Parts: sequence; structure tokens; C-alpha cells
Amino acid sequence: MTADATAPGLRLLPAEELTGKPVSLWRTAWRRLFQRRSALLGMAILGALVVVAVTAPWIAPYDPYQVLIGVEAVDDRDPPCIHLLGCPADRPQHLMGIDSNVRDLFSRVLYGAQYSLIIGVTSVSFAIVVGTLLGALAGYLGGWVEDLIMRVMDVLLAFPALLLAIAIVAVLGPGLINALIAIGIVSIPVYARVVRASVLSVKETDFVAASRALGAGMGTILFRSVLPNALTPLIVQGTLGIATAILDAAALSFLGLGAQPPTPEWGSMLGKDRNQVFTAPHLVFFPGLGIMLTVLGFNLLGDGLRDALDPRLGREGTKLGEA
Amino acid sequence: MLQYGARRLLTSIPVLVGIVVVVFVLARLIPGGACKAMLGEKATEAACERFDRANGLDKPVINCIKSVRPLRFGGCFVNPVETQLFIYAGQLLRGDFGQSIRFSRPVSIILVEQIPTTIELSLAALALAVLIGVPAGILSAIRHNSAVDIATMAGANIGVSMPVFWLGLMLAFLFSIVIPILPPSGRISAGLTAEPFYQVWGLYLAKGTAIYTLLEFFSNLYILNSILTLDFEVLFDVLKHLILPAAALSTIPLSIIARMTRSSLLEVLGQEYIRAAKAKGVPRVRLVVRHALRNALLPVVTIIGLSLGGLLGGAVLTETVFKLSGVGRILFEAITARDYPIIQAFTLVIAVSYVVINMIVDISYSYLDPRIRLQ
Amino acid sequence: MKRRSLYLALGVLSALAMVLASCAPAGPARPYEEIPYSEPMILDAGNCDYGGLMRSVEAVDQFTVRFTLCAFDPGFLSKMGFSVFGIYPREWLEYATKAETPAEVRLRAPVGTGPYVVSEWTAGESLTFKRFDDYWGEPAKTETLVFRWSSESAARVLELQAGTVAGIDNPGPDDFEVIEADANLQLVERPALNTFYIAMTNTFEPFDDVKVRQAVAMGIDRQRIVDTFYPRGSEVATHFTPCAIPNGCTGDAWYDFDPAAAKALLAEAGLADGFSTRLYYRDVVRGYLPEVPRVAEEIQAQLLQNLNIDAEIVVMESGAFIEESGAGRLDGLYLLGWGADYPHVTNFLDFHFGEANPQFGTPHPEIYETLVEAAAIVDPAEAEPLYAEANNAIKELVPMVPVAHGGSAAAYRADFDTPQASPLTEERFAFSAPGEGDTLVWMQNAEPISLFCADETDGESLRGCTQIVEGLYSYVVNDTALEPALATECTASEDLTVWTCALRQGVKFHDGTSFDANDVVATFTMGLDASSPLHNGNTNAWEYYAYLWTSLMNVPAP
Repeated sequence: MTADATAPGLRLLPAEELTGKPVSLWRTAWRRLFQRRSALLGMAILGALVVVAVTAPWIAPYDPYQVLIGVEAVDDRDPPCIHLLGCPADRPQHLMGIDSNVRDLFSRVLYGAQYSLIIGVTSVSFAIVVGTLLGALAGYLGGWVEDLIMRVMDVLLAFPALLLAIAIVAVLGPGLINALIAIGIVSIPVYARVVRASVLSVKETDFVAASRALGAGMGTILFRSVLPNALTPLIVQGTLGIATAILDAAALSFLGLGAQPPTPEWGSMLGKDRNQVFTAPHLVFFPGLGIMLTVLGFNLLGDGLRDALDPRLGREGTKLGEA
Repeated sequence: MLQYGARRLLTSIPVLVGIVVVVFVLARLIPGGACKAMLGEKATEAACERFDRANGLDKPVINCIKSVRPLRFGGCFVNPVETQLFIYAGQLLRGDFGQSIRFSRPVSIILVEQIPTTIELSLAALALAVLIGVPAGILSAIRHNSAVDIATMAGANIGVSMPVFWLGLMLAFLFSIVIPILPPSGRISAGLTAEPFYQVWGLYLAKGTAIYTLLEFFSNLYILNSILTLDFEVLFDVLKHLILPAAALSTIPLSIIARMTRSSLLEVLGQEYIRAAKAKGVPRVRLVVRHALRNALLPVVTIIGLSLGGLLGGAVLTETVFKLSGVGRILFEAITARDYPIIQAFTLVIAVSYVVINMIVDISYSYLDPRIRLQ
Repeated sequence: MKRRSLYLALGVLSALAMVLASCAPAGPARPYEEIPYSEPMILDAGNCDYGGLMRSVEAVDQFTVRFTLCAFDPGFLSKMGFSVFGIYPREWLEYATKAETPAEVRLRAPVGTGPYVVSEWTAGESLTFKRFDDYWGEPAKTETLVFRWSSESAARVLELQAGTVAGIDNPGPDDFEVIEADANLQLVERPALNTFYIAMTNTFEPFDDVKVRQAVAMGIDRQRIVDTFYPRGSEVATHFTPCAIPNGCTGDAWYDFDPAAAKALLAEAGLADGFSTRLYYRDVVRGYLPEVPRVAEEIQAQLLQNLNIDAEIVVMESGAFIEESGAGRLDGLYLLGWGADYPHVTNFLDFHFGEANPQFGTPHPEIYETLVEAAAIVDPAEAEPLYAEANNAIKELVPMVPVAHGGSAAAYRADFDTPQASPLTEERFAFSAPGEGDTLVWMQNAEPISLFCADETDGESLRGCTQIVEGLYSYVVNDTALEPALATECTASEDLTVWTCALRQGVKFHDGTSFDANDVVATFTMGLDASSPLHNGNTNAWEYYAYLWTSLMNVPAP
């Protein structure tokens, strides 16, 4: 542990003890999170990506859709030209080179951050909402409803996620939205299982029994007592799930089933120019790097969250993915 | 043990039935008919009708759905025996996968040709993942918090975040252009043929028999075949072609296995009995190998089994990047060509093998850890 | 317990041995008998009412065949050189087209007279041919011919550089210079006998307005597309038909790029602010369109920039795309092209702008009436004014915008003997040989679909068939000229509707049977007569038979 990473924790703890308040679970979690270099690194990467995504219209040197034929003296698939690294000053600067349709690759990669983040967050949110509903219904109602829901989830889990997503996109037709839906659908079972397990674990507690005795309806019990209990694993799974969702969405776009041209989505940029990897590797390298960094950010943050939020795994050194 | 296995098998049956139905319905939901995809330009309505009749596509899909698109419900009771789903299920029970619409060849033959590529690729990737991942994890755990540990875990974190297709392309660029030592694509060099071992051994079989199909399947596993025929030129050539795709495909499972091995070993090393053994003065190496490792590898076995499913999904991408013609690619092409029998058979084989692998993992786990059986 | 499993194992083993023994070496015997020539066969439609071009094909004697046409056909001999009309032995056809014969017999190893025989086809990997030793002509220079394929040009170039293949088709435009700079390689350019066009269906708004179509015609900078995305040897299309084809580019040249005039036309049509539409294409590489997605994105960008037309790109599966566009059901613009089947202007103009083709919406009588008139004239010089008139009408009515004639190339190792880049993409590898070794490895864009080309349209398949079957004529290597093959000569009657072909004698098929006039009649019966038991192909669409001879005979009523 480096000194600066532990410092906020050391300051916080005495303050709380002085006021005599109980140490909140979330506070502890935050502190634990900030103590982890890997989680901090993940947050830093994601923070930077969010900044890039939001400010892309201002920091991108070119319009990502602008064809530069006749505008500048550049050729299709020109390699990067960086003035600082010795590219002659009389040539226009293109940090990541020129793409196949004579557009500035750097600007397109910057805009790509928007798509990856949106894709990851929306598809997982969709999966969480549907999965939570299904899982809660299954756990709370039990009986044949539970059997039916969970068997369907088993069937969905029996397919490798990417293959099932490909099949679903084939049914819905290619396109970014449909790819999002497909990835959302294949991610549902994980969340349904998590929520069902949480529901089962609190269903029989005295607390819930008491609520029920007091006449609380099913909805109230679900939302007041059961779901908060499932929140921790959902947050952890969700963060890690975003990483997987981004990877799968990029794979779908790579295969031509996701985002369609001229959308500057990393997977489709990479897929479109994959034949050029031997002649113009920059067209493949930079979008791929973008995907990798985004996924890495979510993975690091997710691992950090798991360690921080799940006290059962709280002992040092037994967690996955601690760097 | 047996009882557990039997119970596990029984619970898989509804899932398997569900898989058959899902595969079947998904395939029929893909818009655009096989006729349009196959006959193309000049296909008239009449030609399509004939085509559908010849391929059994004129029957209702499921009992109340004549054709899934447009959806038509109500007043449509037909004898269930007449539905495509029933006919298909019947064929399956007889071990018949039907004929590919696109290639006019039995699907079973296409399976026999394509599956070995994917098996070889997945097993090679899995072998790499285990052979590198487990030792890396152990090393990391023993040298906890050392530079080696940090480097390994950083590598593993990057590894799980790696888009397979990107890594594959970059590897191909690196090792066939920058340092041209490995072939960028394909399974075997042109001019070389992997002569089937049964022919080398002088067995001549009539095409179409079950034994022929079986032997053909094994002879399409080029590595096995070239060992059986002692053809080392082919063996080395095939291995050379396999390195890059296997390396790309293995990255994610390798990273997961390394992390799992490390964390699980660390946990075991912290337990009482290990401390006791340590206090007794058991040498360090012996301590790890004899006492800790056995228990620590239990969860790793599960992870290995589970990563096989991921490998199958990643195989689609790896096969696309390295132009290998295996299960993933043929399935992807079949989807675009609406070749239902191929889509159904290949998805089914993949899903069923996934279920079976999970079952084997569970059973072997219960064998390794008696507590599971008693649950 | 243990003993029982031992017995079981023994039992299984002996059963296995029995099965193996029963499958002892299968002899090469063909499962059908040779039928010596006795009765002359005839395929006769009776009359011309069915709407097709062929009235009858009949065996006059053992080595003479007579074709009776319903109308004069200027392309008759050219068609006879097309590998789709290659001749199969009658005996084999009768066997191979039977329902109980596995389709693989027909589709994957057909029997012809060509210089090569199919030896092995490993699906997804390679297709191997062996020299046919009883070939009637000059035997193939190389013992073994191997076809491989990769859809990606960079991969093909890489294999060529590595020397694992002796020749490749369609190196990417960017690789032309790389190949020429490499002393070990050579580039053979293929003349641009094709056309890439942007089509509009005039039954959909706003393309029903000729002003909108003209605006698109003027608003696309075609020079920029060809300069940036096409290989050397390509040219901007001045007419729909390439100039290399007689009478191809008569009449006025196409509009110049003029975005201001285009916008003015749009404004006249009431669309001054542009409009939204779709841009359809299939992601399939052809000589006329070497880099499909890039060109599509470029056109999309140009439409937006020059005309304020917002076109959403829709990539379609190839078969569905051909189906929908051919039927005139695509509501926006679509990208398609045409490669010459045989070098005649009718192959370009009549097919696309004929009365029966709905692919651009309602056909224009101004165009097709002139074309019908022109096709009836034998002398090209005499027909010229009519073709000029038709071309001018096309320019005026803009059913589509011709963009480019795409040059392409093949590349070979430098020591390759007789490198080929056939304008019709029908390379005949029997005339070529690699620098060393007895195996010629050729790498093309894709795997053949089947080798039964009578019922195929795909160029990658047709090239395979060119090696194994022959028609009555062949195309000269690297040329579009014809030379006699299975016929020694075909002569026409005065009015050019009856062709009598003297056949080559002493020709053997791969299965050992002898070639005679009945094989020709049987082959055309298979292709043209929809009621014949021989009419059993791959998809059974028989597109080229149906289209080049206008219609099939005895098509059952729907």
C-alpha cells in the first residue's frame, strides 16, 4: 500500500469514531476502494475515458465524419504523422493517421469512447432491470414460476454468450441497438441468479416475516427489504458485466453485426479495416487499444468494488485481480 | 458418487430439451427464407414453393405457427406430428442432422469436417492456458507481493480485458510481418496434405458407414492424425499454424486461471493446517506441492471447465481472424445463408457439449470434494 | 463382471474386423454403363411460344449437332465458350441427376472432357485437380493444380510473397506497387470488362422524379471515387458498357460532376433541403467493386456533402440483396455491378434495360425499344447509331449512375510460365506452370460453391469448372476471342438462326466414355428442359440457362 492511497482512510476513521456514529457500510467500502491501487487505476482510466467521451466535440481536431480528400494533402491509410516525433511540419498532423475513407483516425477514436461507454452501461442496465425482476419473482414466488424462470435461465446459460448474441442479432437484424438488446438478453441470467439467491437468503428472516405480518405487500417487501440486500452483488456483477458487454459488443461490430458505418465505433472500425492489418496496422491498433483500455478500466474497478463491498472476502490477499 | 452423477444427468434433461427448442425457434426466426438466400436472383414464388417443399419448409414450424413470420395464431390446429419441430426432433433421435441446404451435403459430414478444427484450436488454447496459467499463479502466490507477483497480476488483468480479435490481428502482424516466423492464417501449408491415417494403414472403407465417419473425424484432427501416420513434416506445419490462434484464444482463460490459482493458493496457505505443517518444519516446496496445491487447485478445475464455453465463443472470432474453417466460422456463414440444418446442428452440438462439460466438471468436482455430494 | 466386459470388447472388435473386411478396396468401376451412339437424341420445344431463344437441339449424326434458334442471336458462339454450357457425358448425367444418387457426385466431382480431373476437395481448405491423361488436346503442363482461397487480399499477397502459392487473384489496389517492386513477383492486369453502378428504383419516391435521378448523376464525384478507391487500370465510366466492347460507348459521354447544377435540379424537384434515404449493398468483392464498404462510405459522404442527401447504410446478405434489388424492391440507392459473361454489348445493355427487368423500377420504352431494334442487326457498324441512341436515352433517363470500370489484376511468382488474367475471369491453368515443381497452387477470393456450373453463377465456381469441363468453343488464353474446343466448327444458316456444329472425334470423358452428339443434346436437355429428369442441379435456379437462352422449356405452371 502506498502512503497516499491509505491516507484518506486514516483520516476518516478517527473522525467517525469521534462523532460516535456507526461506521457505515458504504463509507467503509469507499475507504477500502480508495486503498486499492488497482481500483484507483481503473477509476483513473474510466475517468479519463468519460472526460474524452464528453469533451470529444471540443478536443477532436477534426469532424469524425469529414472526408479529407481535397481538404488536405493526405492519402487514404496514411500512417500517423506527429510533428513532435519528426513528421515534417509542412504536413498536417494526424496523431493516429488517416483511415480507409480518408478521415482523421484520432478524432474517430476519441468519439468511439462515447459509443463504448454508452453500449456497456445501457446493455447492462437493461440486463439488470430485467434480471432483477425475473430473479425477484422466482425467489419470492417459488414453485413452478421459479422452476420455469430458472430453467429458462439455464438454457440461456447453456450457450456461449457471444454465439447466442450472434444468433439473436441475426434474428433482429444487424445494428447498434439490436446488438445492445442481444447483449442485454444474454447477460440476464447472471443477474437473475444473483437476485434470486439474495431473495432466498432474506425471505425467511424474521425481519421479512415481521413485515409480512404487519401487512406489507409483496412490492413493498421486495423493494424495502429484499432488493437492498442484493445491491452489493449487483453492483459488483454489473461493473464486471459492463466489461464483458463492451467486449461482446465490439466483437459483434467486428463481425459486422453491430454498429454500422460510418459510426466511429471501435469494434466496427477495427472490423472494417482488419484486412489492412499487414499494410496499415495503425487502423487496427488504435481502436483495439481503446477497447482494451475501457474493458481494463471496468475490470479493475469491478474487482476493486468486489473486494471493497463484500466483507466476507475482506481478508487481505484472497481476492481476484489485485495488482 | 454414482447417485450424484445420475441426479446431475437428470436435471440436465430439461435444459437439453430447452436447448433443442430454442435453437430450432431461433433458426426459424431469422428473417429471410432459405429459398431467397439460396436461389437468389431468378427465384420465382413457384420455385420457392418447390424448394420449400423439397426441404420440408412448407410444414408449420410449431403447432400454431405456420411460419414464424408473419405470426399467425388461432384456428390453426394441425397434427403435431406434421410440424417441423416434431420432424426435426424425430430426426435428431435417430441421429440424423439432415442435409445442408447450401452445400446439399449431409450435415453430419460437415460436422465431421469442421468440428476437429475447433477442437484442436480449443484444446491447444486450453493447454496453453493451463500450462502457463497454473505455474504463473503458483509462482505469484509463493512470491506474494513481489515484483513477479505484481507483474503477473498486472498481465492477467490486461489479459482478461483483451479483445481476442484484436490480439489475434496484432499477433499475426507481429509474427508474420515484423518478425516473419509464423504463418498468418490457415491450418496447413498448401501442397501438404494430412493423409488420413486409416488410408496410410491400408484400410479402405466405404463412404457413409458409421465407422468411416468416425475414422474421418479422427483423421481431421491433424495433430493426432500426423502422429498416427508419423508424418512429422505435417505435424510441425500444423503446429506452426496453430501457435498464433491458440495463443490469441488462450489469453482470457490463461489470465483467469492464473488469478484463480493464485488467490486460491493464497487462501489455502493461510489456513491452520498449513501453518501447523509449517511449524512442524515441513520444507517449503513440499509444503506447497504436497499439502497446499491439492486443495488449492479444486476451484481451478471448475474454472478450467467453465472457460471451455468461453473458448467456443472466442473460436468464432479467432477463426475469422486466422481464416480457419471451423465450427465458429461455418456457423456464422450459415446464419447469413439461412442454412437452417447447419445452424441447428452446430448450435446444438456446441450447447450440448457445453452442458456436458459443465456436468463433467460438477461430477469431477464432487469426486474431488466429498462435501458437495452430501448437499 | 470383468469377464463379461472382456467378451464384449472381443465381440466389438470382431464386428469391427468384419465391417472392415466387407469394405475392402472399392474398385474404380463407374456405377453406370457406356451407351454407344445409336439413336440420335433431340431436344425440341416444338415451337417458340414458350418465350425462349432455343427451339431445338438435335443430334444429326454421331458427330454433328444442330441448334435451331427462335431468333437471330449475335452472341451465340460467345455463349458456347462459356463454361456454364460445358458438356457432360450423357451416361454420367443420367446417373448423377437421379434423386437417389448423392448430390456430392454431381456437385463436387463432375465428369467433363477438360484437361484436369477433380481429385480431392477438402471443404474449407483446398480443391485439388489432377492432370487428365487421356485429354484430347495438349495435356496440362502441370500434373497437379490446387485451388485455395482467402477472402482477404492482404492474406493472398502474403501467401504469394511467402511462395506458398504460385498465383493469386485480385491483389488489393494498395498492393499493386508492392508486387511490382518485388523482383520475385509479377503483376498481370486484367482489362476492365465490367461496370459498377449506383442504382435507383424509379417506383419509389423521390426517385420516380427524373430530376432527382439526374441530380444524383451530377452530384457524385466519380473521378474522386476511382482515384481513391480503385486500382490502376480502372477508369471512370463514360457509358454503362465498357469501351472495349464493340459499340459499348457510342453516344454522349456521362454528365460531368457539377454539384451546383445537381442542387438546382433537386430544388426544381422540390427537394432543395435534400432528403433521407438508404444505401444498400452486399459485402462481396467483385472486379467492379474491389473495396465495397469503403466505396459505400465514400458515396454516403458525397451524397451528404454535395446533395444534402442523408443515406443510411444497410448491408445485406448477398443472396437477399440480389433477390430484393433484382425485383426492384429496394427503396433507396443500391450499389451493384456487372461483369461480362461474353463480350457483346447485348450482355450489358439488353440484360439491364430490357423490358422484362424490374431492377430499376419500370423499364423505359425509350431505351428497350431501341435495344430490341439494334439487337436484330448483325453488322456492328450498322447497329452503331441505334446503340448511340440507346446510350443517350440512358443518360437522359438515369435508371442508374455508371461509376467505374474496375481494373483488376492477378499476380504470380516471377518465374511463372504463362501468367494469366483472363478478361472473363476464366483462367485456363492447363496452359500454365509454376517455376518449379509439379504442383500449381492458385489462390482466389472464395471457395467454389459447387463444380456443377450448369447451375451456378458464381465466378469463383466457374473458374473451377473451366479446368474440368469444356463447351463447344473456348476462350483463347488471356483473351475474349473464341477457339474451337469440342466442336471443330459451327456454321450458321443464311438467316443466322440455325447453327450446325461439327464435333471433334475421339474425345474421351474423364469416366472413359466417348464424346458424341448425344452428350451435347443431353447436356442442353439437362439445362433447358425443366420437365426432364436430368434437370436436377444445385439450387435448380439454372440462372444462366434461363437468362442467356431467355427462358427454360416446359416450366410447370405455378
